[in-house]
Amino acid sequence: MVGRIKLAGLIAALLVILLPSFTLAQDVNFSVSPAEVKIDNLPPGEAAEFELTIHNKYEAVHFFTLTIFQPPEEERREGRAEFPDDSWISLSSQEIEVSANSEANVTVTVAIPQEQKWAGEDWEIWLGVTPESSDLLAVRLYVRLLVSTSTAHKTRPNPGLVAGVVAGIILLGCGGYYYFRRKAKLE
Amino acid sequence: MKALITSIVAAIILALILALPALGEESESITITMTGVNEISISLDKTQWPLGNVATDMEYMTSPAIEWCTLTVEGNSNVNTFIVGEDAKWVDNPSAYKWTLSNDGTNGENVYGLQFRISGDTSRGYVPVTKIEGEFWPYAGDSSLAPGDTKQFGLKLLTPTYFIGDRQVQTQITISAVAA
Repeated sequence: MVGRIKLAGLIAALLVILLPSFTLAQDVNFSVSPAEVKIDNLPPGEAAEFELTIHNKYEAVHFFTLTIFQPPEEERREGRAEFPDDSWISLSSQEIEVSANSEANVTVTVAIPQEQKWAGEDWEIWLGVTPESSDLLAVRLYVRLLVSTSTAHKTRPNPGLVAGVVAGIILLGCGGYYYFRRKAKLE
Repeated sequence: MKALITSIVAAIILALILALPALGEESESITITMTGVNEISISLDKTQWPLGNVATDMEYMTSPAIEWCTLTVEGNSNVNTFIVGEDAKWVDNPSAYKWTLSNDGTNGENVYGLQFRISGDTSRGYVPVTKIEGEFWPYAGDSSLAPGDTKQFGLKLLTPTYFIGDRQVQTQITISAVAA
């Protein structure tokens, strides 16, 4: 009786894990270039742009998803700190369709806010490219993005200050003019 | 007339003194370097493991055990590779039922364990696959993989001590690579 209960329990517990496959196993094969991008002297308040190329080496069309990933400290290049904010990086597309044996480009923009505290920094962040798949094993390729900001941050002209300086110059000019004219008259 | 010219010249000099530092700041150029002609790529010769029906608290291994799948470094960059797993979700209703992936390869009620082993890796043996990306190869000071290098590996699944039967669950293991 106990044996029957155990067997019944075992049968009830049976389930299917990991989608049974009736399709042929398919190799994972795609590439991303460049593998590493280094941006130097980026002033806070400015943006830099570059392109990533995804090469689909499959015999069929594939969708690729792009993500931004903060690598752990031990995986970062020496002297590189964590990139402060993922939202400073924008991708022209977070999902891209690439035809069989073709390649497609994604534009990446890195924009640093205009604050002096972001000047003179060395950061690292990774951009991940993953083909959409429901298979058990998937591959993701990371592109290392190394960003260094310049020591001087770019200052945008302050309209109030500019107007004040212009007004000051005009007043100074007029004042000087009347001073010299009055002096000349007195003489 | 002389006074007017003197005043204008003085005002222009003052304006230049104020504007020059700002003009100097804008002359710095941004450099974007795409390192070499590098392309990153790895391939796997197997992506599916059709297990079929499984029982509670049982261990399942790929066959061959540790030479089941071959990872090959393509492209022209040396790479470091990582592995990460996830919870196994019910295919019919992923938000309603799942097996949680344990963080040490062990199992429990509705908790399953997953481990990998690389052929030739005698020091680590089976290593748990967790939800946090961990080192696949290299580890502990070994050298990274060069283009053309291969690594064979296998998987081991430990099913939960209890789970709801007749439900098809699905999971995914991601192997990732970054330029070394």
